[in-house]
Amino acid sequence: MKTKISEADFAVLAAQTGLRLTDAQRREIHAAYGTIEAMLARIGSERPREAEPALIFRAETE
Amino acid sequence: MMGPFPTISEASAQIAARKLSPVELTRHCLDRIATLNPVLHAFIRRTEDRALAEARAAEARVMAGAAKGPLDGIPIAHKDIYNTAGIATTAHSKLLQDHVPAADGTAVRRLAEAGTVMLGKLATHEFAFGGPSFDLPWPPARNPWNTDHFTGGSSSGTGAAVAAGLILGGTGSDTGGSIRGPASFCGIAGIKPTYGLVSRAGIQPLSFSLDHAGPMAWTVEDCAMLLQAMAGHDAADPASADRAVPDFSAKLRQGVRGLRIGVIRHFHEVDVPVADTTRQGIEAALEVWRGLGAEIRDVTLSPLTDYQAVGMVVMLAEAYAVHEPWLKTRFNDYGEIFRDRMALGGMIRAADYVQALRRRRELWAEMKAALDSVDILVTASTSSEAPRIDAALKWVLFTTPNFTFPCNVTGFPALSLCCGFTPAGLPLSLQLIARPFDEATLFRAGHAYEQATPWRGRRPAV
Repeated sequence: MKTKISEADFAVLAAQTGLRLTDAQRREIHAAYGTIEAMLARIGSERPREAEPALIFRAETE
Repeated sequence: MMGPFPTISEASAQIAARKLSPVELTRHCLDRIATLNPVLHAFIRRTEDRALAEARAAEARVMAGAAKGPLDGIPIAHKDIYNTAGIATTAHSKLLQDHVPAADGTAVRRLAEAGTVMLGKLATHEFAFGGPSFDLPWPPARNPWNTDHFTGGSSSGTGAAVAAGLILGGTGSDTGGSIRGPASFCGIAGIKPTYGLVSRAGIQPLSFSLDHAGPMAWTVEDCAMLLQAMAGHDAADPASADRAVPDFSAKLRQGVRGLRIGVIRHFHEVDVPVADTTRQGIEAALEVWRGLGAEIRDVTLSPLTDYQAVGMVVMLAEAYAVHEPWLKTRFNDYGEIFRDRMALGGMIRAADYVQALRRRRELWAEMKAALDSVDILVTASTSSEAPRIDAALKWVLFTTPNFTFPCNVTGFPALSLCCGFTPAGLPLSLQLIARPFDEATLFRAGHAYEQATPWRGRRPAV
């Protein structure tokens, strides 16, 4: 799965995490990020607005 | 002393009949550990003195007619993410190398209260996710069927130790398959119970909504016995289910006549085609169940990739939240595999996480619906026998969906059991899935299969 986001844009994303990655680490993680892009595409966002997530907060037990 | 590899059930019966001494059994296991652990690296910490003291106490209870129950005097060990009072609990990581908990985790305490004898702490992948790694304070465990091969993970030490007869059973944890994967590769039985059945209190977390604790042992029956002691409501775990614990062995000898088995064939034949040996093992197992009177039919769910996508996004996001402080300050104190995988978790947006949770509810509903018309589901546990431990495994979890993630995503119980061997002598396996809190039906089907096949009579020649 080839990563779609450019290395330059990925560097911005990586910087936002606050992690101190070496250039080599960032390059390898960028290459692996294509798998995450594919997963997020697979999950998608097209579902009814009222569709609830699997985890909910129960007031009587929390 | 009985044979070199007693099961929990066999040893329990012998101890109850005062034909087997818990002290003798414990010494036998400690001797095997001393001989084989330098090769297998299954234990990262042994507690011999404590074990012998516990064994002597168990023996005294048995001789006084005051045994605690069927697990009294049974030697086990715990994955090193289970907190043990006064004994280091490291998660196999440099970051927790000096971590000595003040209290036992709930599952550890319950197994101790049942009379088990703890022999030590077992290897894991770092924080139950990163491995096999060669840059941690302890080496990775080796597969006793062939030490050049991977144990599976993350409950790697438990898988190796049970298969090699170093212990009669042990604990594992399972966030995406960490009980069932090593059970598969090491040729033993392992159950990921229903989410909420076994308390996670006092177990190092990986992903709160996906983490499960459960037992691993040589047979399905032994897993049922261990789970009986581990299960039950615990107010210290917010996800703990407040419901009565059934007798997990009650259906064990009922057979499978009339049981409706649904095969998620597309998972292992289309979505991720398994090795021929694994496919043949599954088909042969289905014929065994059919011959015993079960009804077999195919079932269709969403593609395996959908479950994998949800599971991985949820796990990475939740695990990153747990580890973020250390990732930001001690990134290079983690092993390479864990830290590089974890870094991806920091790049998942909040909206992506919530979308994954919304999809998760849909997947839960479809698996629940599938189990309205059948009693259990069957698919592979792993796609093949254990690969070599030096194979490039760092990103495999990300590129190839695994067969175990669906039941972490849905929370449904799932059991891995051995269904044969490759011509090279490595174990093959399959996976059974049941409705929530219906572990007894998994044990029923698994026990019937084990009784009808010769696989439990074969041990590694390590």
